[in-house]
Amino acid sequence: MTSQAFYEELQGVLKKYPVKQSAVLEALYILQRDKNYLSDEDIHTAAEALEMTVTEVQAIVGFYSLFRRQPTGKYLIQVCTDLPCALRGADAFYRRLCERLGLPPEGGTTADGLFTVEEVVCLAACDRAPVAQINLQYFEHLTDQAMDAVIARLREQG
Amino acid sequence: MDVTLTIDNREVTVPAGTLIVEAARRIGIEIPVFCYHPKMLPVGMCRMCLVTVGLPVVNRETGRPEVDAAGQRVIRWLPKPVTACTEPVSEGMVVITDSAQVAADRKGILEFLLTSHPLDCPICDKGGECPLQDLTYRHSPGVSRFDIASKYHAAKAYPLGDLIVLDRERCILCARCTRFQQEIADDPVLAIENRGRDAMIVSYSEPAFNSHYSGNTTDICPVGALTTRDFRFHARPWELEHTASVCNHCGVGCNIVLDTRLGRIVRVMPRQNELVNEVWICDKGRFAHHFHASSQRLTVPLMRQGGRMVEVSWDEALQHVATRLRAICEQHGAEAIGGIAGARLPNEDLYLFQKLLRQVIGTPNVDYRVGLSAGFEDDIVAEVGVACGTDLGRVGCGTAILVLGSDLDEEAPILYLRVAGAARHGATLINAGGRATKLDQRATHVLRYRYGSATHLVLGLLHVVLHETNEQGRALTGNEIVPGRVRGLAELRAHVSEWTPERVATISGVPAEAIRAAAHAFAAAQNGIIIYGGEAGNHPALRRAIANLAIVTGFVGRPNNGVIAVLAHANSRGAEDLGIVPHRLPGYAPAERHGLNATEMVQGGVRALLVAGADPFAISARQVNLEFLVVQELFMSATAQQADVVLPAVAPGERSGSYTNLERRVQYFHPALLPPGMARPDWSILRHLAVLLGAGGWDYATPAAVFEEMARTIPLYANMSYERLTQPVEISRHMAHYIYAGMSYQSEAYEGLQWPTLAEQAMHTFVLEWQAPPPDPPTRGVVLVAPRVLYDGGTLLGQTQLLASHVVTSHVAVSPQDAAVWGLADGQRVRVAVCAREIALPCRVNPALPTGVIAIPRNLANNVAEMLLGEGQLFSPAGLIVEKQQGS
Repeated sequence: MTSQAFYEELQGVLKKYPVKQSAVLEALYILQRDKNYLSDEDIHTAAEALEMTVTEVQAIVGFYSLFRRQPTGKYLIQVCTDLPCALRGADAFYRRLCERLGLPPEGGTTADGLFTVEEVVCLAACDRAPVAQINLQYFEHLTDQAMDAVIARLREQG
Repeated sequence: MDVTLTIDNREVTVPAGTLIVEAARRIGIEIPVFCYHPKMLPVGMCRMCLVTVGLPVVNRETGRPEVDAAGQRVIRWLPKPVTACTEPVSEGMVVITDSAQVAADRKGILEFLLTSHPLDCPICDKGGECPLQDLTYRHSPGVSRFDIASKYHAAKAYPLGDLIVLDRERCILCARCTRFQQEIADDPVLAIENRGRDAMIVSYSEPAFNSHYSGNTTDICPVGALTTRDFRFHARPWELEHTASVCNHCGVGCNIVLDTRLGRIVRVMPRQNELVNEVWICDKGRFAHHFHASSQRLTVPLMRQGGRMVEVSWDEALQHVATRLRAICEQHGAEAIGGIAGARLPNEDLYLFQKLLRQVIGTPNVDYRVGLSAGFEDDIVAEVGVACGTDLGRVGCGTAILVLGSDLDEEAPILYLRVAGAARHGATLINAGGRATKLDQRATHVLRYRYGSATHLVLGLLHVVLHETNEQGRALTGNEIVPGRVRGLAELRAHVSEWTPERVATISGVPAEAIRAAAHAFAAAQNGIIIYGGEAGNHPALRRAIANLAIVTGFVGRPNNGVIAVLAHANSRGAEDLGIVPHRLPGYAPAERHGLNATEMVQGGVRALLVAGADPFAISARQVNLEFLVVQELFMSATAQQADVVLPAVAPGERSGSYTNLERRVQYFHPALLPPGMARPDWSILRHLAVLLGAGGWDYATPAAVFEEMARTIPLYANMSYERLTQPVEISRHMAHYIYAGMSYQSEAYEGLQWPTLAEQAMHTFVLEWQAPPPDPPTRGVVLVAPRVLYDGGTLLGQTQLLASHVVTSHVAVSPQDAAVWGLADGQRVRVAVCAREIALPCRVNPALPTGVIAIPRNLANNVAEMLLGEGQLFSPAGLIVEKQQGS
């Protein structure tokens, strides 16, 4: 997003808050929205726009795990592999998913930049494992076939 | 309102709102803490202070406490332990801190903290004065149930900035450092990033940990996580000797401890004085002590012989000086001799300096106003200075502070903390200056005036105070002393009637409504303080206007009321008090015979010049046109290089003496070190010289004897003695963990003594003199301003390698708007010319500057600002040419 577009959108957001600094989460959300991660430049942009130090903004970004600081695929696929999910086969499911996407077993981003796959701890859906969160949407009771269908659909969407 | 509660079966009555931890401290019960610090808001992060709390059961119908069969109050115990650092007391509360349950809670917290804390106390700088170490000894289980192999590991020597090193393993995430930076220092450049085991202290500012106060975080760090590069691995705390001293780097007069080992200073720590620096010092005060141990120090008297400087004995050097002075005096009269003393010299030395010149030699030519002291002086504080008992650390709601033309964060950092703290506690803060400064963020009113119009601005404020009424229709003048003790009110009211806010607005550029609002807010307060500095200009009319404003608002003669001048050096106030100016004698007595000022002396007004602790020829870049020049110095300064005789002086840490700070507080400092070589204290050199010149009665054996004479002869210092200056004060420091995170030293706390202003005398009558302001500054063209910066090119600071990268290099600061117009970017060279003098320097775009103002800091290497503007000028007249240098 261009910095002008950001500033324009931010003006509307600022109206909701008594002090500028209170808008920091929403400002960061806007900056991350289009490309799924926050660059160093984004952190500086937010700091400048909200009259905060870079350190303060970075501390907030670091606290919230939904803010990402590394380039991320258009679709972020998070699979829980913690104990209850692993008992339902989520760890093996995760390794196979990585393999089919041509990624190393620990996950990563596909060469086309479309998918980032990562293991997470707890998506609060143990009883429906294997479960994946793709951007903001949950996919439950997954099998390899079901996951392939989802991935194919997302590939089509581009 | 007071509240009575019971802690460990003992009753204690404290003001409502007191935290349990403080109430316990009142009766000598120490509740262990890590994150809690009495200077900061409580957060309850470390959980070390868990206690058991019970509240009396109140009968809902009667509203009375219920009692059991035995007549005892029924207590309802809270189901979980409570953090004593966040919980305020309440009536009838019962607190238990010494039960098996509380002991188990403390054990648990410590065992948990130690799962991530390394066992490297033997090589840790904090070892020996570490709260975690102490509290572990006292409260921990002694043996951990956790496997040592699974201990948390992280970066051991992470540079948090170039002064502070962070050990991430040792950090217990108490957030004292981040809170200090945010709440106290106003530099929120430290933060905790991430969560849980990944949480760590970070700084992303450019440069990292960019703050003048960073060293304080190492003092309050309750573990060895934050250490200074200066002290790191240099000594164990128990090897140190502690000497109570006073910082000599600015006029605030922060109380410090010189920690020495084997005759060298290894660290400087703050010493508590709630009336001056509380428990803080700035990084310059903490780190710039290396001049004491510099290899460049002068250690032997030097005399010019055949064009070369040769080492001579003290006898030979002083005899030569006496002979030459006597000869010049006989041949040309005493007035052919003059003296310039630096405002870093202690009171005793300055007093003897002027006494030698005036009484022994018989010349009125005495001055201290060279270098940073040129171009800003003060003579109103003697009448309207802040009254005795003023404590900026305790003012808040009901107090108004007007800061005029001073960048406190650079000029007097600890004063910044105290003024910002007052604003944080509800004080009205009016920050009036020619450019944006850090204090703006705390200000309730920001007045941005055109350089050269500060006097006009004050007249505008005076106009409002004398001609307008508040919403209730009452006058804005202070009714305590006006009109009873004031003369000339009607005349002043008539004089300022033409200085309406509207007229002042056209001259100063400050909107009339802003002037009006600030004046109303200022006058409406119960207490008022005016702090003014060099960027307001050095015009007598300015000082008169400020004094008049303080008087008509009634903000004089009472504690927390009056004026503070932000003078440059550690003892600038003392220099003014002791008459180190050619027109005044000690104690603000007018001199019958006015002597030459420093500029006139160095421009050839005298044939022989005595210089002590000053470098007048560094800045003037003038030819030394003197028959005889004597210099008392620590270093071979530019002036010393021109001298006929150079006498090695001792540094503050090597001697005793007293300084008078900005608030007129006289403070004594002890010697911590032996002088190098043959160096002698300035007062002693002056004494010898006086004796050789035939003076009688100059038999002072110590600075104390000099101070005794000062107290006897100068009314301001009457009732003062070293004994009274070092009267120990009752500061509840016996539980050092609360304030100093385990500082091991047991240094005395003194508060010093303030001399009373004229306004404090009940019989004093205030005369409101009128002085016309200087001509209006031009409203067009570019102004060059020479602000003071903390890390300047000063000789003493230059001896500290650690701060070398912080020293400001010569540059021209330009506003972004002007940079765009002139086509300038950072680093490009700018040519600045004024009155046939010109210079080319790299440009720095600085958004703090308004359009039409460029800045070159004062006292940098090569004294570029002084070369352009002249020594005593802090901002330029019109006629400035600024352009991008061709080919850059």
